[in-house]
Amino acid sequence: MVQESRKYLKGKGITKLINVANQIMLKNYQNLDQYKDIFYQCGKCGNCRTAYQENGWPRVCPSGEYGKFEAYYLGGKNLLTWGLNSGKLEWTENLARIFYQCSVCHACLQQCNIPEIHNYAGEWLMAMREEAVKKGFGPMKEHTLYTDHILNEYNPYLEKHEKRLNWLTKDINLDPSGDIAYFVGCTSSYREQTVALATAEILSSMHLKFKILKEEHCCGSPVFMTGQAEKAKEIAENNVNTFSEEGIKKIITSCAGCYRMWKEVYPNKFKLNHGMEIVHLPELLITEIKNGKIDLNHSLDMKITYHDPCHLGRHMGMYEIPRELLKKIPGIELVEMERNRENAWCCGSGGGVRSAFKGLSESAANERIQEALETGADAIVSSCPFCLNQFKSNIKQEDLKAYDISELINKSF
Amino acid sequence: MISSEIITKLETIVGERYVSDEPEIQYLYHYDFISAEPEGKCDIVIMPGTAEEVQNIVKIANNFKIPIVPWVSGINFGGIATPRKGGIVIDMRRLNKVLEVNEDDMYAVVEGGITWADLKGYLNKHHPDFQAGITWSPPGTGVIPSHLCYGMFNLGMLGGTGAEFINGLEVVLGSGELVKIGSCSLSSYWYGRQPLPDLSGLFIGFEGTTGIITKMAIKLWPKLPFRTDYLPIAQTVEEGAPMMLKLAKAGLGIIDLLFINLGWAQSLMCLDQANVANDPVELGLPDFLGLITTQAYTEKQHEAQCEAIIDICKEFNLDPLTLKEQMKSFPENMQGIMGHLTPSTGGQAPVQFWGCWNFSRGGGGEWVGSYNTTRNVVKYYQLSRDVSLKYGKPPQYYCRFMFGGHYCVTRTNINFNKNNPEEILNARKCLKEIHDAVQQLEGSIMYKPPLWAVNYYNDKMDRNMYQLIKRVKGLLDPNNIMNPGQGIEGEK
Repeated sequence: MVQESRKYLKGKGITKLINVANQIMLKNYQNLDQYKDIFYQCGKCGNCRTAYQENGWPRVCPSGEYGKFEAYYLGGKNLLTWGLNSGKLEWTENLARIFYQCSVCHACLQQCNIPEIHNYAGEWLMAMREEAVKKGFGPMKEHTLYTDHILNEYNPYLEKHEKRLNWLTKDINLDPSGDIAYFVGCTSSYREQTVALATAEILSSMHLKFKILKEEHCCGSPVFMTGQAEKAKEIAENNVNTFSEEGIKKIITSCAGCYRMWKEVYPNKFKLNHGMEIVHLPELLITEIKNGKIDLNHSLDMKITYHDPCHLGRHMGMYEIPRELLKKIPGIELVEMERNRENAWCCGSGGGVRSAFKGLSESAANERIQEALETGADAIVSSCPFCLNQFKSNIKQEDLKAYDISELINKSF
Repeated sequence: MISSEIITKLETIVGERYVSDEPEIQYLYHYDFISAEPEGKCDIVIMPGTAEEVQNIVKIANNFKIPIVPWVSGINFGGIATPRKGGIVIDMRRLNKVLEVNEDDMYAVVEGGITWADLKGYLNKHHPDFQAGITWSPPGTGVIPSHLCYGMFNLGMLGGTGAEFINGLEVVLGSGELVKIGSCSLSSYWYGRQPLPDLSGLFIGFEGTTGIITKMAIKLWPKLPFRTDYLPIAQTVEEGAPMMLKLAKAGLGIIDLLFINLGWAQSLMCLDQANVANDPVELGLPDFLGLITTQAYTEKQHEAQCEAIIDICKEFNLDPLTLKEQMKSFPENMQGIMGHLTPSTGGQAPVQFWGCWNFSRGGGGEWVGSYNTTRNVVKYYQLSRDVSLKYGKPPQYYCRFMFGGHYCVTRTNINFNKNNPEEILNARKCLKEIHDAVQQLEGSIMYKPPLWAVNYYNDKMDRNMYQLIKRVKGLLDPNNIMNPGQGIEGEK
């Protein structure tokens, strides 16, 4: 594929086509009206369905492959948005359901070579969800259930806030005076606690002066991604205030969703200029390794394949750092799945899909698991506890394990 | 309107999940979302997963005399898959597999809803030494419709139109009967349409009005190890075209031979309407760009072929650079999708063209695309250019030589803003005027023709041919349920 025709924007994974002059330049995170003159550039040509000009032209859209009808692919959604905007369609529950039956993984955008659709379709996919909420057709009832819980107990897992740090052991050296925080996130706090523990142990072993805030709340990603921008902003404001008041200057994340929210969505969508440095764990570790401050000594003797989390890869442009890090582990053989990096098949958990559209979610997860099995790898490794949880919930084969990158690093430390 | 009783019957055939009469689902089947052709109406859409399911759907449609429209991506620039009389759209996309590849006889048997991406991906992975003819159309479009509607491929100089790449068919007739055509009707081999009576013509060029193809065998070709793509540039089409005509008859391992004018090239650069040179000729810009692709089995053979090609170009005062070299002369932000066209520049067909050739920002495009005698290649451009400029449209001309130079395609594209009803009307007028103008040239016959062009030809075609087509259509589809309102109506 002709890769030179695009580049990743600094701090964002969204690619811009650079091979076309005179593109319409628009702002991100605007309402539908801002994009009204570009929906109809789409001719539902189907480019969004397969990895464009890759050797095997594999399918990339979990929503479309599951839903089958044109409406579930990006092309269909572009033209439904045009239909709505031009008065040919009206908001209905069904229309809202079509737009929500999508993990907003952005694999489709990467394939489209119409510059403005490539650059901005992700914006109107989200703007349509926000519009659905305003019109009373969104979110789905499952999203409302967890959102209400987030607003009361600060996590979407229907757990009590007071249990948030239950995973924390006395071996972890926290420094209450430190200005670095590990933002644990809800999935690691309540469901994949091995990720939280591994991350904290790594940071401890590095003798990093860091702390974990008891008043950390959900980052708001599950709320934001389901079109509830106002509620998500309230959650974000609360987190920013909490961490600012604690004097935090740097936040380390182990969750791709939390990383994206803090680094991209808080400042750019919500205009919360928190001024904190946001670093995903693999970024921190690769820098420390390069600076000679960390050595990975223990050989793990494993063949693994790396799954790009959508929120880290396509949404934030971080593809190589986790791979580079994994290759530093002695005894690790890293093999690629056919769909990797910008063409990675989504695990099927994001965008509110896992809670509201179980059939789609499981179908996507199983397809990814099968793809991992085909590589002959012993394990599928991700850099996001939400992906990890999805894989662990769906893997039925004995011969494939799922890990987070933090777990492997911790073992090799 | 289709009754709930019929919907239930259809759901029984394919499962509830694959039938929809929801307005939001139907909406995307009313119109092709590309062309200036009017919208139609889809009442229900259904997705069969087997040939037997297709048969059962057709039988129900026949019983209740409901129109059915076979559909893969619905895009063909003539509105051919737009339902003109309502009814059931049979979306074939679940039938998307390569069933067999026979490397000895060099063919692939594919299902009726396969897309170019499905086919190309399968061959790349499993049969990398073989190639199918691939269109310069987007990967999500249909392989079978392209073959049936005389699509043209990047092996056009080798094999002719898509129809000539067909080795055999499995077809569901309007009655619901399943018929095999070609060598596959007598054996398990799909090597060709010979020597029995060749009935594939009952379905080629009939625009889905006589049957639904559930399987097709298509020719494959060896991918030879040595290949070069040249991109000669001349000041005018008038200067460059004679060189191509000579190359078309020179052999020289040429598998693809075409030229475009600068209007078309600007669309490859993905420029928008506001930033193209409407009339590059007036500005003194070079208006002719050729593409010559040659391949060979040995290096020595390839060198000789390339030398001969360059010699012919030099006879016409042109010294062609390869596409890769030529692309270096374009600034990075003006390269658009040029590099996507050939392996020598890191690309491979299929290619996402629209949004590009229609100057993307309006999203609408249609062509007057004709098969033609090679005698007309310059005149066709001149006539269509004048009309395009009269309507304020940049002329976008394209000519591809076919089947060893025996004939060619001449085509002029028109772009428009499909969000603007006036522009759509204007585009329709412009297209019809181009069509009328090129009809002065005997031999210009539109392929994938919209209904207005079908009607134009109906009056002019040999009467006995016209009557024969009507009789054939009436015989194969006695209840006129197959894509009614398109093509020539059957005899009642």
